[in-house]
Amino acid sequence: MKIRAVALNTFKEAIRDRILYLLLFFAAVSFILSRLLSLLTVGDKTKIIIDAGLSSLSIFGVLMAILMGTGLVYKEIDKKTVYTLLSKPISRNQFILGKFLGLIITLFIMLLVMTAIFFIIILLHSGTISWKLFVSLGFVFLELCLITSVALLFSCFSTPILSSIFSLSFYLIGHLSWGLETLIKKMSPGITKILTQVAYTLLPDLENFNFKTEVVHNLPIQPEMFLFSFFYGITYTFFILMLAMLVFRKRDFI
Amino acid sequence: MQKKVLALLLIISCGMFMGLKVITDKIPRKIIPGASIIYIPSGKYLKFASFGHSSLLADLIYIWAIQYFSNYSVPERFQYLSHVFSIISELDPEYLDPYQVGALIAIYDARDFDTAIDILELGLKKNPEQWIFPWQAGHYAQILLKDFELAKKYYQTAMEIEGSPPIIKRLYSNAIYELGDYHTAWKNWLEIYNNSDDERVKKIASNHLYRTKAAMDIQKITGALKEYQNKFNRLPEKLADLVASRFLDSVPQDLDGQDYVYDSDTGEIETAVIPWKR
Repeated sequence: MKIRAVALNTFKEAIRDRILYLLLFFAAVSFILSRLLSLLTVGDKTKIIIDAGLSSLSIFGVLMAILMGTGLVYKEIDKKTVYTLLSKPISRNQFILGKFLGLIITLFIMLLVMTAIFFIIILLHSGTISWKLFVSLGFVFLELCLITSVALLFSCFSTPILSSIFSLSFYLIGHLSWGLETLIKKMSPGITKILTQVAYTLLPDLENFNFKTEVVHNLPIQPEMFLFSFFYGITYTFFILMLAMLVFRKRDFI
Repeated sequence: MQKKVLALLLIISCGMFMGLKVITDKIPRKIIPGASIIYIPSGKYLKFASFGHSSLLADLIYIWAIQYFSNYSVPERFQYLSHVFSIISELDPEYLDPYQVGALIAIYDARDFDTAIDILELGLKKNPEQWIFPWQAGHYAQILLKDFELAKKYYQTAMEIEGSPPIIKRLYSNAIYELGDYHTAWKNWLEIYNNSDDERVKKIASNHLYRTKAAMDIQKITGALKEYQNKFNRLPEKLADLVASRFLDSVPQDLDGQDYVYDSDTGEIETAVIPWKR
């Protein structure tokens, strides 16, 4: 009940943020531009529209998560509203969870709006929508959940600018970490290889949520891949949230 | 008052920068067309830099490549043709259009058959289930190079891929015919004729069978004519003379049971009808 109240309040606060609508506007513009971009190609135009659309959804979603998530806790501390909140019978963990859920609801609604625009553009062009697109969008949302938790974690102990840089780095590392696998294969056995292997397993692998290529080319995906990627996203988000709670518990507001 | 001055300044400054833009656009600048292409790194590095959006990056490079390779002001633009399409392939290996368009540019614009084959080979390597690439390679080898041996090789590769259309077997059989292996060509065309339920395909196969049999018969008659000429120092008046002189067991007839047309002055033999007009 308390988490719900914080979440609802966070949601109400988030939807009043102008940056959200600015990003939504740019996302809509990029969807329309993808239609124009497809006119320049030779061959399959739908591929260009889907590629550009899915990437826009993902990029603008991540920007929304980072730009809003990094200020979630910091603003409360900076404006000293956190004192009023925590003096009520509400635990710090409930506060963090409420903040997280509030932003997730906002992102979910934004993703729905962006998806609606995206689907209208696809429908106007090709007349059909593949069910695989929904799967890909589901995983984009899962990625946004993880990024939100990371932004929230940094927001607990850092300024919004630094938190944004850290969260963006997390996103970039998450999409680069697969490169370590190639490095590991080329390394000779030893302690360095073991440490690299540990780093590779520990670092986020956001490519696990990237099914854009499979969707665009209608390639088969193993059901286990969906299942394990889904649980990977859930557990990683849970881990980061726990970390955020730990950090927030340690914070001294006096 | 201050508000009005601000609005006025806003309009003036807007008009000024728009005017300046028009002026700067008219000033000719020294540019090196296509100079930017040398900065394109390999696909492997670009895949890292795409941060999970490699498919979109492949689209953008492909669209850029179409515009770049159709820019006639860059004479040496085809120098990096293979490199550009290998980058797209690295970023999105399943994207089929670039392989086909790349090969098309290489063949018809760059007149570089080897690059076209390289691009199509790359397409096949990344998508072994796609018959379209060996089929296209075979088609280019047959139509442009008249290299039927190479065409036969690619048609055979395409034929062996599941889901390839029956026309590839017909092209393969035709390449064998062009190579002069009439017996194998006959066997193949007969198989196509017997196994097809489509009347149109049967008619095509029948015409090819007619042509192949005629080629075999004409080859046989020509050999006999040479022997006849060597012995009698002249050409026979009619083909039946070859049988009388025991150079042939019998005078062959075409698939429809008609006699071949023989010109005793030149020794040329033709079918009574054009195979495609039977």
